[in-house]
Amino acid sequence: MKFQTSRREFVSAGLMLPVVSATSKLDFLQPSDKPTEKAPVAPVKLDYRTLGRTGLKVTTVGFGCMITSDPSVITRAADLGINYFDTARGYQHGNNERMVGAALAGKRKEIVLSTKSPAGDKASLLKDLDTSLGELKTDYVDIWYLHAKSKPDEIHDDMIEAQQIAKQQGKIRFAGVSTHGGQQILAPWMVQKGAFDVLLAAYNFSMDASMDQAVQLASKAGIGVVGMKVMAGGFRSVKPTDPIFDKLHRDGALLAALKWVIQKPGVSTTIPSMTDMDQLDENLKAMGNTFSNTDEKLLAQHLEQINPLYCRLCGKCEGTCQKGLPIADTLRILTYADGYRQFALARERYQELPAQHVAVRCGDCKECTVDCPYGVHVSDRMTRAQELFA
Amino acid sequence: MKLCCLLFALVMSAGTAGAQDYLNCQLVAGWEQTGAKRNYAADNLYDYKDGGAEGYLVYSFARMQGVDCKSGAVTLAIDVSEMGDADLAYGMFAANRDPNLPIAKIGMGGQVQPQSLSFAKGKYFVEIVETDGNPTSNQTAALEAFAGKMEPLIEGRSTPPEALDWFVKDDLESARLVPESVLGLRLLKHGYIAKYKQGQAFIVLETSPESAAEVMKKLRERFDGAVAAQLGDEAFQVKAPYLDGLCVFRKGRYIAGYANLPDAQQAVAMSTKLAARIP
Repeated sequence: MKFQTSRREFVSAGLMLPVVSATSKLDFLQPSDKPTEKAPVAPVKLDYRTLGRTGLKVTTVGFGCMITSDPSVITRAADLGINYFDTARGYQHGNNERMVGAALAGKRKEIVLSTKSPAGDKASLLKDLDTSLGELKTDYVDIWYLHAKSKPDEIHDDMIEAQQIAKQQGKIRFAGVSTHGGQQILAPWMVQKGAFDVLLAAYNFSMDASMDQAVQLASKAGIGVVGMKVMAGGFRSVKPTDPIFDKLHRDGALLAALKWVIQKPGVSTTIPSMTDMDQLDENLKAMGNTFSNTDEKLLAQHLEQINPLYCRLCGKCEGTCQKGLPIADTLRILTYADGYRQFALARERYQELPAQHVAVRCGDCKECTVDCPYGVHVSDRMTRAQELFA
Repeated sequence: MKLCCLLFALVMSAGTAGAQDYLNCQLVAGWEQTGAKRNYAADNLYDYKDGGAEGYLVYSFARMQGVDCKSGAVTLAIDVSEMGDADLAYGMFAANRDPNLPIAKIGMGGQVQPQSLSFAKGKYFVEIVETDGNPTSNQTAALEAFAGKMEPLIEGRSTPPEALDWFVKDDLESARLVPESVLGLRLLKHGYIAKYKQGQAFIVLETSPESAAEVMKKLRERFDGAVAAQLGDEAFQVKAPYLDGLCVFRKGRYIAGYANLPDAQQAVAMSTKLAARIP
């Protein structure tokens, strides 16, 4: 299988790649000539935005390919008009790139393709890029990310040089950085550095306002912003076989979470991980539908459910328990049982805590001195951990 | 109650001791531990694997223990992940192996490359990787030495999932476990896919014949133009978008068939062979 596009064709295509009108905020695509098992009932609404200084026009719902179960889901997404697809060198040791390459065969000119490398030096990065191009069966990728960086000192000058060399060689069109937890530090640094075109950042409704500022700062400087982990970790851990999964779908919370990111200023596109055809159909609904008051209420309810339960491990409670209990450690252990249903593991970890801590009972204190800035009900959660594991 | 607690403590301590045994750099002469051992669970695997963590979570990742071993200028990172069960551990291995390279006889299956080795045994998925980033180095001997010492110390099954053996072997290119949504369809929750030179076969594991029959009913409703086929307990065939020539049959609690063949008749013919191999 080979893509039709040669590097020469790519160069001649230049910025003609965005085939959709720049002024078209909301376009309609007729159902594909290859519909799913039963054709979609209505035409799919496609909403496009410009990805910063790249000038690429991307659908606001992109496609995170990492855990896709079958290449047909990716192919169908492209047929339906989604035009941004993301993979990485490291996903399934290259098998994911191979699947994406096969799924998008013959569609290279119609889509924006991104991949990433975790390598830490110029030679390894460029070697990874050549491997990626081979697996993806293409001559170039549109965006090539330095994968999963948390702080500026993880990005050395020779890594930036590798991206520039790759650009000169026509192997990549634009350079990016992906980050899961360093947005607030990396965004201003990327702006100041001036060497990057795109920021791929974890961004979801559970994050605080400093994340909004980081995204807008990058966007205003012309850096295209792609949102990932848009469903929030708490959602991702719920599997389709879990009864909660159906509830989340039924009440629209997953869709609301995706719409929340799309409506944020500065975000050009998103890459929700899509496992199957059903999830693709659901996520498509996020385009052409504005984030509503109902969505806001739904997310507020879910945030309310999450807030009293889930420790964000910010460390601000450290040293504030009058009995000296390791609050964050204990709440993390409790998450193994409550969040991931790994009760034996949770009990094992709890029993590894110092004996003097295991012996403490929160009910013995008249008043709890720990105040979580995120609203976790610390005393209740600690009591639950003690009841379950002590 | 006390007896239960004692037994629980014994089981847990035995498990911990086991991990200590196989995560030992001195298993191979000339190697020493460098740095502290690492431990990750489902909620903090992102700290180590970043976005790649999701690739572990879909195989019901429970926890990972790891250690770095050094000999001279070479460092090997050894990580042992505990997955939901042995089938899922094999699934993790199969999803991450290079299908162009052979499977080595290590545990349920392994793969050796110049700078990395992986294998699955029982519910454990083991990765040993040279971390020095030298693209020309060849650490095959050291990798195999560690695998050879570790594998007997890891508890659990050494045979691949039996369902993999049911696939027709002619023209088989690769087979893997799909932890969610076989063929990209959420109805088909969990099963195996075998890729052939032409088309692919699948076997989905349902909990009972009744639940499998319910899934078959819903599945058939999804495909316009599906017609019955005489196969297994029930079957249908259809030419479907993205799946091309498709045949799906149920045999007891298993839902299986062929997809992506030029026409549905061919899918029925191949499915008949597959049905004969499923007990």
